[in-house]
Amino acid sequence: MARIPCDSDRRRYSAALVLIALGIMSQIRAIICLALLFLAATPMSAGAHPHVWVTIRSEVLYTPEGLMTGIRHAWTFDDMFSAYALQGIQHAKKGQYTREELSSLADVNVTSLKENDYFTYAKADGRKAVFSDPVDYWLEYKDSALILHFTLPLKAPVAAKAMLIEVYDPTIFVDFGLAKDQPVALAGAPASCQLIVDSSRAPTADEQLRMSQLDQNPLDSLDTFGQGFSNKIRIKCP
Amino acid sequence: MADRHGHRCSYAAKLAILTCALLLVAGVMDAVTAQSLSFGSRQPATASSSASFFGWIFSQQAAFYRSLSALVRASKTDGAAIWALLGFSFLYGVFHAAGPGHGKAVISSYLVANNETWKRGVTLSFASAMLQAIVAIAIVAIGAVVLEVTAKAMGDAVRVIEIVSYGLVVLIGVRLLWVKGRSFLRSCRDIRRARSLGAAAATERRAPDFSEAEAGCGCHHHGQHHGQPRDHFRHEHSARKDGDPACDHDHASACGHAHGPEPEGLAGAGGWRRGFAAVLAVGARPCSGAIIILVFALSQDMFWTGMGSALMMGAGTAITIAAIATLAVCARDLAGRMTAARPGRGVLVMKGIEVGAAAMIIAVGLFLLTGFMASEQLWTFSA
Repeated sequence: MARIPCDSDRRRYSAALVLIALGIMSQIRAIICLALLFLAATPMSAGAHPHVWVTIRSEVLYTPEGLMTGIRHAWTFDDMFSAYALQGIQHAKKGQYTREELSSLADVNVTSLKENDYFTYAKADGRKAVFSDPVDYWLEYKDSALILHFTLPLKAPVAAKAMLIEVYDPTIFVDFGLAKDQPVALAGAPASCQLIVDSSRAPTADEQLRMSQLDQNPLDSLDTFGQGFSNKIRIKCP
Repeated sequence: MADRHGHRCSYAAKLAILTCALLLVAGVMDAVTAQSLSFGSRQPATASSSASFFGWIFSQQAAFYRSLSALVRASKTDGAAIWALLGFSFLYGVFHAAGPGHGKAVISSYLVANNETWKRGVTLSFASAMLQAIVAIAIVAIGAVVLEVTAKAMGDAVRVIEIVSYGLVVLIGVRLLWVKGRSFLRSCRDIRRARSLGAAAATERRAPDFSEAEAGCGCHHHGQHHGQPRDHFRHEHSARKDGDPACDHDHASACGHAHGPEPEGLAGAGGWRRGFAAVLAVGARPCSGAIIILVFALSQDMFWTGMGSALMMGAGTAITIAAIATLAVCARDLAGRMTAARPGRGVLVMKGIEVGAAAMIIAVGLFLLTGFMASEQLWTFSA
């Protein structure tokens, strides 16, 4: 009974299945069957969220009176996204794109960013601060990567003791990360203001697992999962 | 003697099913705990080790993907980088195929509904995955190299292909539902008629024989006498016909899921033509990862390298889909063996499963068409 020969006798084969069910491994094919069943049952999916990677470099803008007026972003896209976005864009010199050649693409970018609130969320002393449409935007091509420059003006300049600006994608389609050196600067802020920057944290294994399933179970607008990975710019002006 | 074997057979099937069910439950529990843990909580990932493991795999997979562009660039000057690129592309395909996408659902339902063999399942999986890679290469070669259209235009082309292929999925499902539904109803009628004849003695005598015949439709059988399952059936069929005329129609329904009465169900040349529709439905829509790596490779003047990468992604995808196809065939055969002990109703259950699988294909196709079931998106962000 210990060894079941592998012959065409179906009944013996079935008996082998019983043994395998009891944990005695003697039939490779049946083991594969069961292993596959187990694999199928485990949470197995690998949607590639995020799909786009952006490196942030930003400047927070102030009036001479010390009111915050907006934020100027320079976002560098990953090289694969850059190549994809540049596909079919007419340019005179191979491997080079001028600001003018990229202007229509910049328009498209900024328009589609509007739907996502420019992935930039601000709170002045705990109250939501609203941005208006971007001004002064253009695309730059450098080192096989696209850099989108744009300025987001606040609807109304504010003086806040505690300003919090978060940059993140609530749906985690885009992964935002801070540039390595000097990702955020203050332009014209009162000398007493203090800047604290927290980069987005790495997801835990469980969170990674959930991200891998976002293609099938997308996040809804109320979900705060994405916010958990925000880059936080805090400015304290006592 | 035959009777006792029949019993043992059903025991085996029941035990196997039980084990699988336990494994399934364990897996689902894992998934559920993983979900509830990660749901907005700040807990560290210590609670479920399997979630950690898979999380780690996915972070690795994201790293594979991100490393592809660097490897394409490196392979301009470094020959060894090409091998690394091909290897990572393959792994990316293996993992990525386990994720979203209708291919697995359609292929496995198709195999179950059509009572396809393991070999055919694997062939269909490979054919559709490689077609996917070839379509990606064709789109980028024509769109980007020849016509120099924008990414948005290529995305639109993919969208059109997508709609056609989803429509094809629905059509395949409808066709299968029609064939299998009729066959199911026919069996229902046959069984009712047989019962009304009230041939109690005959049933008693026949029962064990049928469990054997049914077991012949199993997974293992496919592996061993792959070439001529129909001949085998036919042989048994005629033997029985001589012995017991009442066997005739019962046998056809006992073992002839798809092989039997319907000519469309036959393997062989016509069968491959029929399989072609399924391959087209699943493989026509290219994987966006492949398109992106191709476009990137083109931008780096490395289109041939990109093609290699796309084909390796296809091979990786094929492995995963084939594994899931194997699973579908195994599951069907386990079910077949379990129902084998009950000649009349067992056949009905199997035919019901086939009808269900056909309905499943329609549902998947409709969901995809109406956008209810999101497939992978090409950039929503720039186009």
